[in-house]
Amino acid sequence: MNSIPSYLLQPESVQDAPLNIKRAKLSFIDKTILNSAKTVKSIYQQADCAENDNLINKINPHVKLISLIYMAFVISLVSKTSAQLLISVFIFALYIIARLKVFEVYRKIFFLAFLFGFLVVLPASLNVITTGKIILNLFTFNKPSQFWIYKIPENIGITENGIQVVLLVFLRVLNSVSLALLIVFTTPFPSFIKSFKIIGVPDTFLMIISLAYKYIFILSRTIEDTYFALKSRLTGNMKNSSLRKLISGRVFFIFKRSVVIYENTYFAMVSRGYNGNVKLHSKHHFTLTDYITLVLIISVGIFVIIIN
Amino acid sequence: MHIPDGYLSPQTYIPLFGLFVAATAIGVKKVKTDISARNIPYLGMAAAFSFLIMMFNLPIPGGTTGHAVGSAVIAILFGPWAAMIAVSVALIIQAFIFGDGGITAIGANCFNMAVFMPFVSYYVFKIFNNNSSEKRRVTFSAFIAGYFSLVLTSILTAVEFGIQPLIASTADGKALYCPYDLSVAIPAMAIEHLLFFGIIEGIITAFIVGYFLRNDPGMIYAFRKGGKDANR
Repeated sequence: MNSIPSYLLQPESVQDAPLNIKRAKLSFIDKTILNSAKTVKSIYQQADCAENDNLINKINPHVKLISLIYMAFVISLVSKTSAQLLISVFIFALYIIARLKVFEVYRKIFFLAFLFGFLVVLPASLNVITTGKIILNLFTFNKPSQFWIYKIPENIGITENGIQVVLLVFLRVLNSVSLALLIVFTTPFPSFIKSFKIIGVPDTFLMIISLAYKYIFILSRTIEDTYFALKSRLTGNMKNSSLRKLISGRVFFIFKRSVVIYENTYFAMVSRGYNGNVKLHSKHHFTLTDYITLVLIISVGIFVIIIN
Repeated sequence: MHIPDGYLSPQTYIPLFGLFVAATAIGVKKVKTDISARNIPYLGMAAAFSFLIMMFNLPIPGGTTGHAVGSAVIAILFGPWAAMIAVSVALIIQAFIFGDGGITAIGANCFNMAVFMPFVSYYVFKIFNNNSSEKRRVTFSAFIAGYFSLVLTSILTAVEFGIQPLIASTADGKALYCPYDLSVAIPAMAIEHLLFFGIIEGIITAFIVGYFLRNDPGMIYAFRKGGKDANR
């Protein structure tokens, strides 16, 4: 029997915060809606791009996975910025071949690379972190000093070595993110997950990933709907404590919803003969294009390591 | 907390990947005996929930909002072994679909947030709660579990960062991976997590566990395994 969730039976305490109490802004509702909408959008975008008909989409997912792991390893080994730049150009060329929306995807890539590969490492350009010849002096003290375990030199500035370190980490992050997104946008998720079999990931684990991915999509939509409903009912501010109670209720609701979905999935699986053992079948066969791709990727990796 | 590619050397991410694989193999075995044939859809659901819990922003005292990493909540609700698999699946999906966390750093991220953090939070919760079902004690224990697990995980991550200049630098002192040594990485990570992020994690863990305790205590693994019935 369907019962009305308890939170719907409780009156909303919209006006329960006295005027002198610090009121919370309701921006967290928008943030949550935005987060869930982003997830749904990414999943749609990925599925849409992966269906395109182009050369890279046609490559066997096993080859793509091996190439991704191999190139990620090469990127982590290469320590010269010129070699990393060469990899960036190579990956960009692959994006052109894949006929993806280069501007849109690279905007996301640069944002991630700027955040994790540049801002975080930027202080390393200073001589207090990376020693070397100062090329831009920023501060000059009277004398060198000591603060706790840190030695503060007389001059603080940007070093040549420091710039190289920042550039290297930035390019590494840029290349890794762009490579991962290239594979994601050119491979349907189910085929991509099945390709993990080639590196020995058990079928059980892959099945869990596939189910989780589907649940995430369904439940993200539920969160979005729930929060839109919540937003439409909240006309004023509420006390922080009431809001936290409200959100905890939403988390609880999502949990219960996921339990229902899980049970339905389980019964559906049992009705189709599921007995606890999982065997995923992968229908892909290697073609000449796949072998050429593999040879090309391996050659690029070796070439980059040699020039490094 | 997610380590991107480029910060860890192969000497670090390969052993951490090995540790994660070994822990997952044990985890899959443990969970299979615990929840039988239902384990696959159950863990899929747990993984999705651990992914989604990061979406919920909560207002934090002081006027800001924040979200939890979620490993502590998941460990208390699902148990540490199921949490390990669930959080690692969520991290793998995040890395491959959303570019959050590196491909080479997957082992390190999973070891930190899916192996270390759930176990620390679960056992801290068990120790502080001491099988009690009293609401205040449960929420306090959940807060401590969330707080300490995140702070300790941040220190572990800082150590992984901090050892990079020691194991991978050029002759002229140029770092090849994370450029911050232990004297910079540990204080930087520990202070922000001790004073800010740890508190957010603790508060969110306490609220969610508190809500579950009031509405459906039977769903909390920490009570099902060796705890009293949580009837107040």
